[in-house]
Amino acid sequence: MQDQELLQDGLALMALGMGLVFVFLTVLVISVTLMSKLIGRFQPVPVAVDTGKKTSQSSAPSAQSDEVMAVISAAVHRYRSTRRR
Amino acid sequence: MDKLVTLWEGSGLYNLELGQAVMMVVGLLLLYLAIYKKFEPLLLVPIGFGGILANIPEAGLAISALDQAIEVAKPAVLQQMAAALGASLDPLSNADVWRESLHAIAHDAAAPDQLRAARDIAVGVGYGDGMLYSFYNVAIASGIAPLIIFMGVGAMTDFGPLLANPRTLFLGAAAQFGIFATLFGAVVLSSMGIMDFSLNQAAAIGIIGGADGPTSIYVSSVLAPELLGAIAVAAYAYMALVPLIQPPIMRLLTTQKEREIKMTQLRPVSKLEKVVFPLVLLILVALFLPDAAPLLGMFCFGNLMRECGVVERLSDTAQNALINIVTIILGLSVGSKLMADSFLSFETLGILGLGIVAFGIGTAAGVLMAKLMNLVSKMPINPLIGAAGVSAVPMAARVANKVGLEANPHNFLLMHAMGPNVAGVIGSAVAAGVMIKYLG
Repeated sequence: MQDQELLQDGLALMALGMGLVFVFLTVLVISVTLMSKLIGRFQPVPVAVDTGKKTSQSSAPSAQSDEVMAVISAAVHRYRSTRRR
Repeated sequence: MDKLVTLWEGSGLYNLELGQAVMMVVGLLLLYLAIYKKFEPLLLVPIGFGGILANIPEAGLAISALDQAIEVAKPAVLQQMAAALGASLDPLSNADVWRESLHAIAHDAAAPDQLRAARDIAVGVGYGDGMLYSFYNVAIASGIAPLIIFMGVGAMTDFGPLLANPRTLFLGAAAQFGIFATLFGAVVLSSMGIMDFSLNQAAAIGIIGGADGPTSIYVSSVLAPELLGAIAVAAYAYMALVPLIQPPIMRLLTTQKEREIKMTQLRPVSKLEKVVFPLVLLILVALFLPDAAPLLGMFCFGNLMRECGVVERLSDTAQNALINIVTIILGLSVGSKLMADSFLSFETLGILGLGIVAFGIGTAAGVLMAKLMNLVSKMPINPLIGAAGVSAVPMAARVANKVGLEANPHNFLLMHAMGPNVAGVIGSAVAAGVMIKYLG
């Protein structure tokens, strides 16, 4: 008799638990999807700015590198010459 | 000569009981598995060593001041304590019989205030709580250690793959079937009279199938502290065995063609999404499942520290120094539960057996769920990543990746498998919350 009750309790807990896990994670899937969409709609800017920055940075070095190199070597040269004196 | 006899009677060898000797061998076995077989060494080394410490005769490292006094105090003290417990000792029998009857009274019949009075006497004559006993009370009985570890796990978890493909959460949910199927299995075993588990104990055993150490320890410390040692050992040992347990099940349930399925590349996930996700999860927990709040709350906190980017120091501490410190104390505390009288029973074999079944069923449920989703959805899903739904981060995801590479050497599933993998962590914490709600 008691065994029967234990079995029923176990079965109930199994159904309830599995059900709740699925319900909760379904709600989570829905809210995460919504969140991603919302963020995608209201904040596409930072992503765009990010990629923009990256491309400008990655393209810049080739154009500017000569200039930058010149400035750096001039600075190093001046620093060394001041130190020597 | 008298002094020599006293010395001999106080030695470990004289007092060593068979059970303690066996448990020391078990502790050495755990150390062997950890050191030479690399089975979750970070936990099994402290657990194995703690197990040996807990079974040193006479030292009483893992028992309370009261138990210690009952075991070794002088007869006069025993009588005082018997008076405090409201029991009378048979003056004709010897001290050993007194100890046994006091032990029985202290663990079954005595009221809390009587126990406190007896404890005061024990402390008054100079007995103290064992070191491991204190560790256990501070770290596990209070629930703190598993929760801090969960925070560290949160700080180490990248939810990017999950956010890029939220449907993989369903795989994490399906794999939790292992937990509940095992719970039911334990109930069936005890209703058939083979084992003797209560519903609480069955639930604590089932949670092994969540393949999540801290969750298992947390749940069993709430629902069935007497089984904690066996459950923790089973959980960590099987987590180490994931690469052996899972692949045969995965191959059995999938065809070569299914294993070769290539998945579309994951979209990039913005930083804002990653920052908002732990907050969304936290709000959902607060709204729907407050009983999972300790576990998932700490998890979300750790993850927020990681993703928000302004508390690097805290996040770094949570995932390195703090988690290491807590792991040491947690391991030793679990070891304190490896005492002969609670561990050496037929039930422990049952727990070890049911634990491996839990892993197997969880893996199978994840794979089958992935196949089901493949039928419904347009985006192809490789069923192998379903197996990563049992948490065991990141081992299960690596296994899915490896089996995928065997089928098709150009098919890298690791990132895809991380989605269900972290979903499994959330899923098992939710399952733990449900069980604690229902039974706690």
